[in-house]
Amino acid sequence: MGYFKDIAVGGWSLIKGLEVTIKRIYKPVVTLQYPREQIEMSPSYRGHIELKRFPESGTHYCVACGTCMRACPSHVIKLQGEKEAALEAKRVVHYYIDFSHCSLCGMCVEACPMQTLTFSQEFELADESRWDGVIDLVKYFEESAR
Amino acid sequence: MGHILSSEIGRLVAGVVVVLIFVSLNAPFLVWLERKVAGHIQLRIGPKEVGPFGLLQTIIDGIKLVGKELITPRNVDRKLFILAPVLVFTPVLVPFIVLPFSKSLPLNDMNIGLLVIFSFSTINVLAILIGGWGSNNKYSLLGAIRSVSQNIAYEIPLLLAVLSVVLMTRTLQMSKIVEAQSSLWFFMVQPLAALIYFICATAETNRAPFDIPEAESELVAGFHTEFSGMRFALFFLAEYTNMFIVSAVATTLFLGGWQGPFGISLGIPGVIWFLMKTYLLVFIIMWFRWTYPRLRFDQLMNFSWKVLIPLALANLVITAGIIKLI
Repeated sequence: MGYFKDIAVGGWSLIKGLEVTIKRIYKPVVTLQYPREQIEMSPSYRGHIELKRFPESGTHYCVACGTCMRACPSHVIKLQGEKEAALEAKRVVHYYIDFSHCSLCGMCVEACPMQTLTFSQEFELADESRWDGVIDLVKYFEESAR
Repeated sequence: MGHILSSEIGRLVAGVVVVLIFVSLNAPFLVWLERKVAGHIQLRIGPKEVGPFGLLQTIIDGIKLVGKELITPRNVDRKLFILAPVLVFTPVLVPFIVLPFSKSLPLNDMNIGLLVIFSFSTINVLAILIGGWGSNNKYSLLGAIRSVSQNIAYEIPLLLAVLSVVLMTRTLQMSKIVEAQSSLWFFMVQPLAALIYFICATAETNRAPFDIPEAESELVAGFHTEFSGMRFALFFLAEYTNMFIVSAVATTLFLGGWQGPFGISLGIPGVIWFLMKTYLLVFIIMWFRWTYPRLRFDQLMNFSWKVLIPLALANLVITAGIIKLI
């Protein structure tokens, strides 16, 4: 009798299997047609760092103090500031990071006294040369305004 | 034009041209369908870039294969190696002569139609053996050996299942078998035979879960490991055309061929009914492939010799007994 039971039980499990797959045919696909569609990045995503834009002033507060530069364990940050008038605060004019060496540890973000550094949502970073990993954050900031 | 088509030879030539066009369009369509089915079962999209819904993708792939170099490895048996793809593809064209697409459409409605189909579809196994042997490659040879033993094992229940239908209709002529189902399709009368036929047909065409002759995870690509370019394409073409043929035969034997259910045609022409049922069965074979894992070789043989053959035999004996009593 075990012979017929095996056939019946086996056949039933096969039908169950078919049921699972036929249901999936009608489910919506999860594939994203990447260059044409993009998902929203999670807020906790760590791209390369960027200068944070504060809504009340519409600009960043980087004073080129260099704390981030000294905090960076990989020495990938290089920046230069300029003072336009005697009693004004210093403003950053050049802020370079070499993202190809960055480990995204976040020491710079934590160290920033003006809290004007943050992780960006940038993920399309494939490039042709190793020097393309060098990013000018001031330029990036200005371009993101547009 | 009229008298050329009405003559026997003209009808045959026109038929061969139509069959060749149909086969070479049907196979790319089935490959496309397979990839779409596979995609959606795995929650993907499948091909969609070339042509509407990606329909031209497989045709483009075919053109790529035609353009490729035909590599003949050094130590192969040259004659057999070249013969195998031709031999695997030629016999799949023959069953189209007798397939009853509609009442008037079988190219030649001979009274041994069913026999023609099964005798020619068996040559497929020989071609696979020749290809595997001629390749002089251990994976090819193993694939070929498996294919032969599997086909021998599954040919028996397949023919036994078909026999029980033939016993009921007392004819091998395709059109007569279809006409015998005008009121009731045979899969309602012979559900076990229909099921056994369909399982064996899946095995005969070397489709998953019975695809051990080309089990890619163990045997590289089985019997067609060494074949490239158009030779490989011919194996591929033959596999998908065989799938169409076994589904068409199943439609003829068990699903009433060109007729609608219970003789209600709903005004749809017979060809459409026939193709609808055939493609539904092809879809089911594809559905099998993306549901079931591959069987181990001993399980495969056990299933045929211990389950399918006894059941098919019992079914045949019961059918014969009932026919004798009526």
